[in-house]
Amino acid sequence: MRVVRSPGPAAASAWPRLSGSRGVGARRRPAMSEAYFPVGPGLGPEENFLSLEDILMSQEKLPGRVEAALPRLAAVLGKGAGAGQSDGIPEGSKVEIPLWLAKGLYDNKRRILSVELPKIYKEGWRTVFSADANVVDLHKMGPFYYGFGSQLQNFDNPENPEIAQTILQTFIGRFRRIMDSSQNAYNEDTSALVARLDELERALFRAGQKGLNDFQCWEKGQASQITASSLVQNYRKRKFTDMDG
Amino acid sequence: MDPAEAEFLAEKELVTVIPNFSLDRIYLIGGDLGPFNPGLPVEVPLWLAVNLKQRQKCRLIPPEWMDAEKLEEIRDQERKEDTFTPMPSPYYMELTKLLLNYASDSIPKADEIRTLVKDTWDTRLAKLRLSADSFVRQQEAHAKLDNLTLMEINTTGTFLTQALDHMYKLRTNLQPGESAQSQDF
Repeated sequence: MRVVRSPGPAAASAWPRLSGSRGVGARRRPAMSEAYFPVGPGLGPEENFLSLEDILMSQEKLPGRVEAALPRLAAVLGKGAGAGQSDGIPEGSKVEIPLWLAKGLYDNKRRILSVELPKIYKEGWRTVFSADANVVDLHKMGPFYYGFGSQLQNFDNPENPEIAQTILQTFIGRFRRIMDSSQNAYNEDTSALVARLDELERALFRAGQKGLNDFQCWEKGQASQITASSLVQNYRKRKFTDMDG
Repeated sequence: MDPAEAEFLAEKELVTVIPNFSLDRIYLIGGDLGPFNPGLPVEVPLWLAVNLKQRQKCRLIPPEWMDAEKLEEIRDQERKEDTFTPMPSPYYMELTKLLLNYASDSIPKADEIRTLVKDTWDTRLAKLRLSADSFVRQQEAHAKLDNLTLMEINTTGTFLTQALDHMYKLRTNLQPGESAQSQDF
């Protein structure tokens, strides 16, 4: 069987997979001043167990087709009431399965499920990306375009190499614009700039903005003013609400 | 790293001051300083120079390169060449800011110097972005960045390393089968 993310003992047995995804791209050391340091996405066939982004990403729906009857899964897939008498899903029906479930059910040998590509990873869209990756609204189409695309490597699809290549080229093609906009937009509304960015790109954009803002702050002499650590500020806030409630 | 931390490191740079008081040699962990005699130039770290200046206990002599003509030359050189040219000091940005803020009265043409340094800085950052883009576009594995200063690396460092991290991971996806499924049993 495969390990599916779920609460309880299964979560503990999922730990070993971390050793795989940790090796790639070691996390940067958290700055001491930050109360919470986010864990980045795994961006590979295995997701990063501790990454909030990856957890959200694993809920994304994947179109597929049931090859063997799935008893008692109708409720999970939201087909409970309408289907009528049985609470199972009959063979051959088309479903939209969340990624985490698809990964659990998918098995090459037993053929419980066949997975189709979401349209943004299909040939037609791949052509669009290779023409000009900058025009695509990845947030509307994604919003986890890169992470989800990497996860597709888990399902043996003949187009996998092309998908991986397109994803990489898309990232490279959009890199310049993200870099320039994040390093130049100082003190302005950035919502228009990030509106079309994928979640991964937004994190990058924030990193660029932080570099710019920190530097501007220093140049204006604000960096020499001593401010309370964010740790302390959070602590105070929490105490206040505790007293409230 | 914070710009403030880069500034902290820059404060170790030595500058020349002319004190108007006398004091024996002082012994600090970082080394001995002094002795201080009125009217005799002495080399002290920037942090002490700024402190003395704020208490009006010295006159500051700007570093040799902090001169409008020299900086103009540096700026033109920087604009002309495709690669980064060596800077007169690894902390030129920090030094300029600190000295101009606290001792602008002892530096001639302070405003001009400020603009020139800022121009050089902008040129260099534009170059840095350009080379980062071509680095990513050509999917190079390594690059050599000579003559970059700490503060410059600092502004784009996090962004660039994160982006390269992502790119590396996306590229490993191109070679599947390497990380064989070990969860099947």
